[in-house]
This record gives sequence, structure tokens and C-alpha cells, in this order.
Amino acid sequence: MRKPVDDRLTALRGSAKRLDYSARSLAALENNPRCTLRALLDASGSDKVAIATHAGHPPSFGQSSFAITRGNAFEAMVKDNGCAELLRVLRETLELTLPEVGYEDLNDAGGDGRSKERHERTEEVLLRAARGEGDGTLFDHPMLRLQIGGHKAYLEPDLVAFRIDGRFHVVEIKSFPIIDEQAAPSQVRAATTQACAYIIALRDLLGRAGIGEETVSDTIVLVAPKDFTNRPTGAFVDARKQVAALTRQLSRIERIGDLVDLLPEDLTFDLAPDAEDRPRRPAEELTEALDQVLATYRPDCLTHCEMAFYCRSRARAEASLDVLGPAVREQFGGIDTTTMVMGLARGELAPSEDQVEMAAALRHAARLRAELEDLGGAA
Amino acid sequence: MSDPLDALEKSIGTLRRAIRDAAAAGNTERAGELRMQLRRAERAWDALLDTDEPVATTPRPVPEAAPAALGSQLPAREHVHRALMLLRAPAAPKLIVGVHEAFFPGELSASKLSSLRRDEERSYRSSPGARPYYLCPALSHDLLTPVRALISISTWTLEQRVIGPLSPRGDFLTSAIGIAEAVRTATESATDGPSPEALRLLWRFAVSIPDALPKNASGHESALDAQQVIDAALAELEVHTDADRATRVAAARRARKSLGDDEQLFGAPLRGVTHLRSARA
Repeated sequence: MRKPVDDRLTALRGSAKRLDYSARSLAALENNPRCTLRALLDASGSDKVAIATHAGHPPSFGQSSFAITRGNAFEAMVKDNGCAELLRVLRETLELTLPEVGYEDLNDAGGDGRSKERHERTEEVLLRAARGEGDGTLFDHPMLRLQIGGHKAYLEPDLVAFRIDGRFHVVEIKSFPIIDEQAAPSQVRAATTQACAYIIALRDLLGRAGIGEETVSDTIVLVAPKDFTNRPTGAFVDARKQVAALTRQLSRIERIGDLVDLLPEDLTFDLAPDAEDRPRRPAEELTEALDQVLATYRPDCLTHCEMAFYCRSRARAEASLDVLGPAVREQFGGIDTTTMVMGLARGELAPSEDQVEMAAALRHAARLRAELEDLGGAA
Repeated sequence: MSDPLDALEKSIGTLRRAIRDAAAAGNTERAGELRMQLRRAERAWDALLDTDEPVATTPRPVPEAAPAALGSQLPAREHVHRALMLLRAPAAPKLIVGVHEAFFPGELSASKLSSLRRDEERSYRSSPGARPYYLCPALSHDLLTPVRALISISTWTLEQRVIGPLSPRGDFLTSAIGIAEAVRTATESATDGPSPEALRLLWRFAVSIPDALPKNASGHESALDAQQVIDAALAELEVHTDADRATRVAAARRARKSLGDDEQLFGAPLRGVTHLRSARA
């Protein structure tokens, strides 16, 4: 008889305080959907930073405080004086009409800054707007809520959701520049993924009041500095694909039980901290527990997952092809490790039936390389 | 220094007219309320006039100030009052400091402003009405609670101090007109014209108002025409003003009915834990 899923997840987390999902951890779901380790750690609300540190691979990244300050300053500049700059951008690029200037500040609910109260107020104000009452066009920092795996996660678009043509659009204000109408694809992708969580949460909020999901556009509005200036400009980003991907991931969390069932009963990532929060559990024991869960490492994990350094060292130790990234990996369908690749190339390993073709290609490549080396030696 | 006085006089005039209207309509409650506001405005006017007399009000004996530095010795609240009178609408500390630096001498920092706001409320609560005016928060139109980071003056009417959805834009345009007029006055009267900070401030406002910049503007501040900014701002204001006014009047009426004198100035009590915490503090 298996224990209920929630108990199992609590056991995985151990004595530590539960960490709720955030827009960032939701975005990570979409980034690397195949990673079981990440899914389990997030679903159980484990402290990934503490676990990675104790396992000997402290995450050496994180958002730089300079970047945060810069981001906040830019956002404040865009929203200053009744969103004057933002209105200019929206009028220029998105053809917002002149009378659409209504502004609702949802940063607190009558001076109350708690998530629950703010969420209630957000719900009230947004529903009123959806029904066409009031003059609201810009909604500053609404507090949205999403039910994930039975737990509430509060999501606060660091931006404004507003109405054009009777539809809500999520606006994401970012401080990376759009130069000649081009922005760094990885940055845009990260911003879009984050916005997807907001789109889903917003649809959920309206859906509960019986308002269809087409009311929320799946195109996000990205507001960022133009060229090398500090003046904001705006652009539409199509997020349809990512919204679909994230929706699928979220429904998968609901089935986290299937993943948990594959694990041994007594598995836990508990650090057994003492009174001063120092982990007492031996590091080897922790890594042993981590090793029992399948992790799918990809080089871009390094930019968004706290466990990435641990997973990379594990992938390296196993000589896994994951270290080389998905582009290389896909070339070697059916082969998992560099040792096997090398073995097949040198003809030291006999290929299995479905590896024959790949082995021939590898041996051919090895021959070409040897010839080149000979030429290099002769020259 | 005459700008705030002008604005006050205008506001006094408006109030007198409103009192006459209310009395004619037989609305004694409203008339009494307006009379209170009129008295506050008149006291503010007296106080401002006094501060215009050099040296007399300065706390320390200082050598006769040069005309340009007139008023630089004023307390911070006077600086804020003067900036707000120029803007004619509730404003955020950052903008108040910006206006102060652009048009007035003396030093004013945003950090000083936050402590100032607490002092004002404390001073009012210990002896209500002792000062000719108080710096107080703007009020949100639905909950009538203080609006985050928007400072207004107690002598303004509740309609001016209530913030509805359209009010931030309306107030932005009103303030743009105030700044443009101040720049124009400086261009016409002062020997050295408006300061570069003043022009930059006006430019920052003008860029987000349709048709406020000259057509051939090369993005340079000197190309600004104050009159054009005023015209453009008035044109857009025309679009919002009726709807905005309706919200504000309705909210102000509700505030008069449901809030006490102090709450009309400093906002309805906050609900929940934050309220309890601030009440204990």
C-alpha cells in the first residue's frame, strides 16, 4: 500500500520549510520538461540551493544585484507619472487609443501588501474590467494565483496587464535592449516563458468567473529599452507555443504521483539541519539519494537551475553525451555515452542491430579525421 | 514665488464660487464643508505671503540672501508645497524633487520627503488645524485609502485629491501644463531664461503627449515650445476630463459622507494587519 502522494512529497522534502512555486521555477519546467529531478524537487518544495550546496556544487550564479537594480529602475522609469512613457510606447507601437489611459495600482490592497488580500483585490478589479465596467486599462502589479499540484502559487507579473480591443495582454517590462528591432533570443525566450505563467494564471482567474480564455491574448507585449538609449520601445511576442508547452507541464505536475511511485519508499532529500540550520546529513548519503533520481542535464540548465552544476558533474562522470548539448545528442540517437561513441568509431565495440548505421558513420568520420591528421603531420 | 500664490488665489476664487452655488442650491452641509476648505486655503495664502518677506521667517539669522536664492532657507515642507502648487495635482516624491530642482533654489531630497509625510500626520493629530496647510496623501477613489507615494496638499478640494483610474493621466497633463507655464514665465521674465533642468523636465513630459513636440524636433530640448505643450496637453485633457471628473466627484461625495475630518486628509484606515501594525507604532 503506497502512501498518498502529498505525504510522499513531504517526506522527500523532509524537515525543511516548503518553498512555493514562483514564476521562475514554473519557467524552468518549460525549459527542461524531461528532468525528473527538477520536477520532484520543485513539486516537493525542496530548497534546491541548500541541497546543491550540501552536495558540493553550490550554484555560483543567481541574479546579479546590479541587474536587479537596473531592471527595477527601468521599470520605475517606464511607469513614472501615471505610466506616461508606457502610454507613449503603447500608443505608438500598439495603437492604443487616446481615451484608454485608466490606471489601477494593484501593488497593495488599500495599504495591505499581503498576497492573499492583493489577490482578492486583483480578482475584483480584473473581473470588473473584463465585464466592461470601470475605466481600467493598465493594471500595475496584479497578484495572480495558480493552483499547482494542490498548492497555491502567487504570481506577480512584474508588469501591467491591460486591454486592447477588449482583450487582456500581459506586458513584460525588461531592461535588456531591443537593438534594430532585435533582442537577444535567449533573453526574449526567458521573458516569454515567465509571461506564459502569467497568461495561464490570468486565464484561470477569468475562467473561474466563467469568462472564456480567448479574453487573454497569447501574444505578450515586451517593453524594453530601444537601441542604446534608455527610452522604452514595445514589441509583440507570440507566446502560443510556450503557453501550450507550459500548460502541458502543469498538467503533468498533477500526475507527479506517477513519478513518485517509481522511487524507493524511504528516499528523502532531507538535510536534517540542526538548530542553526547547518545540515547534519552526510553529503555522501545525500548524493546517493539524488543519484537515484533521473536527471536530464542540458548545458542551458546552467542559466536557470540551481542543481545544474551537480547534474553536470554527474553527467561528466558518466561520460554522458548530455554534456555536449541537445544538438550533438540528437546526432547520436540511441547512443548515450562518449565512451560508446569512441568505441564504435575505433571499431572496438561491436554495434548492436540499430547502431549499425551510426557505427558506419562514426568509423567514416574517424577515418577522415585520421587522414587529416596525417596531412597535418606531413605539412 | 508668485506662482503658488496665483494658484492659491485661483483656488480661493473657485471655492468662493462653489460656496455661492451650494448656498443657492440650499445644500448647507456642502457649503459648510467648502467654507472650511476656503478658510484653510486663505490661511495657506497668508502663510505663503509671509514667507515671501525675506529673512523674517528664517530660523537662523543669515546675511541678506541674493534674490536668486530667495526661499532657499525654507523648511522642506514649504519646498514641497511650492512644487505641488506649480504642478497643481498630487505628485510622487521623485517628481516633486525634480520640479524643485528645476525651478527653485535650495536642497530637497526624496529621503527627506518620506519622513516629512509622517511628521505632517503626527503634527495634525496632535493639534488639528494649527498649520495653514498639511501635506497629505492622495486618496484612492474606491477604498478612500491613502494612495501609495502620492503627496497632495490639505487645502486642495477632495475632488482634486481623489485618484480615480483616469486621474493619473489627467494629473500628468495638468502638471505638464503647470510646468510649461512656469517655463514660459521663466523664458519671458528671467534674464537667463529657464534652467536646463526645467527644459529637460518639460521635454520628458512633452514626449509622451501627442503633438506636444515640434514636427521637426531633432530630439533636442531647445526646440521645445511651451505653448505647444500646453495646447497639446489641453487637447488630450479634453478627452479624459469628463469621465475623470465624474469619478472624482462621486468619490469625494462618498468621502465627505463616510469619513471624519482627519480621515478626509490622511485617508480611511487601512484594513487588516498593516492597519493594526501602523496603529500600534
